[in-house]
Amino acid sequence: MREAITVRNLSYRYPDGSQALEDVNMEVYEGERIAVVGPNGAGKTTFMLHLNGTLRGSEGQIEIFGKNLEKMKREEIVKEVGMVFQDPDDQLFMPTIFDDIAFGPINLGLKEDEVRERVEKAISSLGLSGYEDKSPHHLSFGEKKKASLAAVMAMEPRILVLDEPTANLDPRSRAELIGILNELNEREGITMVIVTHDVNAIPELADRIYALNRTIIETGTPREIFFNGALLKQNKLDVPDVFKVFEVLRCFGVNCEKIPLSLDEAVSGLTKMIETEGGHIHLHIHEHTHDEIEKWRSKYEHH
Amino acid sequence: MVEYPEIDKYSALDSPMHRFDPRAKIVAFIVLIFAVVLVPNLKLALIALIGAILFLIVSKLPLRFALQHIKWVFLFVVPFIVIMPFTVPGTEIFSFFGLTMTYEGLEYGILVAVRALSAVILVLPMIATSKFNVTIKALGELKMPNMLVQMFMFTYRYIFVFVVEFQRTWRAMVARGFQLKTNLYALKMIGRALGTLFVRSYERGDRVYQALRARGYTAKPKTLVEFKMRASDYVWTAVIIGFAVSLLVVPFVEVL
Repeated sequence: MREAITVRNLSYRYPDGSQALEDVNMEVYEGERIAVVGPNGAGKTTFMLHLNGTLRGSEGQIEIFGKNLEKMKREEIVKEVGMVFQDPDDQLFMPTIFDDIAFGPINLGLKEDEVRERVEKAISSLGLSGYEDKSPHHLSFGEKKKASLAAVMAMEPRILVLDEPTANLDPRSRAELIGILNELNEREGITMVIVTHDVNAIPELADRIYALNRTIIETGTPREIFFNGALLKQNKLDVPDVFKVFEVLRCFGVNCEKIPLSLDEAVSGLTKMIETEGGHIHLHIHEHTHDEIEKWRSKYEHH
Repeated sequence: MVEYPEIDKYSALDSPMHRFDPRAKIVAFIVLIFAVVLVPNLKLALIALIGAILFLIVSKLPLRFALQHIKWVFLFVVPFIVIMPFTVPGTEIFSFFGLTMTYEGLEYGILVAVRALSAVILVLPMIATSKFNVTIKALGELKMPNMLVQMFMFTYRYIFVFVVEFQRTWRAMVARGFQLKTNLYALKMIGRALGTLFVRSYERGDRVYQALRARGYTAKPKTLVEFKMRASDYVWTAVIIGFAVSLLVVPFVEVL
């Protein structure tokens, strides 16, 4: 598989001298969905800003599809790496949605009809038809979030970097956005790096996790990371609610071999379990249940 | 939803002024505004005022909306009507406590006020009949320096964000018992709130710049525009500029 992003020994120091990133290494393959998790102040956003050359590390190097980022021209970088910022008000800087979505394609030097085509495509694929002439201040947060994604998608980048895409969205908009991102990944093969605290979204949104706390502490599939209790505790990380519920069920004697991470997995896991155990599952309190629950509790107490 | 004080609140109405090509509209009305503030006598100023009111009527903008905007500007004009009559020398009308009101002064005061009022009225059919972003684009098309166009554009975009941000700060203050009084403490707190807003805006500016760069900003953003002059645009341009020219030419004709 081809490497879309390669980060080698990246270090960055804030202007005030404190170390934000230290010896960060990462390989992201084409079409992969990566979640970057870590506690507040771990340097996630700082790291993200390196991926399109907004910030330049003091040491190390970044390659985008094998090309050294340092040696790439600005237009070349923004064409490859699209970045969706956390606050859509930072990202939607033009007076209307149309102008905002057209901004990137125009900067890529596309012809007018091509720009219009791109805008139209982005607008319809994100369900924003009818919003073209609206000003951002007349949109809801969820709509603004979609508009900022459309503005980046209109540039047709091969890599998409998103800072907290699901934060502050209502449940329906959140589910919609997760669906849109996965569709983009499936349909267009876009490589995604998602910085997030939303652990419940990770099983649906990411193939692999990088745990970042100034440096990369661990990498693995969501399953590997969520099973690593010590790592989670040290870095104030959490696991999906579904995962926790099934851990509790386990204490009550449910014999599930593979703890589900998402609701979909839970449905198929439960079905399989019930089928193999003759039509039902048993919950019971046995002599160790109490101790096991206590143990489970202490696993998630971050003291 | 927040209620914004928007100048283009009624830009979706339909009137000859709304249909007027924004570029021609801006040029024509700016010429007229200059003519109006240069009219030499009260008679012509009143004609200008009537003309301005007619354009306002043609634009179908609601009177209340128009008065709201005229009101504030008029506050700055009132001092002229009050001060001028007592400071310009000429034929005395009456005097008290050593202050003499003169006929010439009164006329001059009213002249200044009427000119200003006409000019302000004319701004409304010019600006309030197009969406503001269209007006900005028109300014760009009229070769206004790109830097200024950008300043307009970003100001227009972010003024609303700042309004909301200040409201949020204000509500947080009120929620913790802050009361607006005319004492030093209240002033201090408002100062601090504004300071916070300033710092936040500065930080936001940083993030917006990052976002701009991330989408290939090169300090010269272009936008797509679709302006087209039609016959009616030429007619209106001719009418407005014709009115402007006659306001300035008539006094010389009378002299002849």
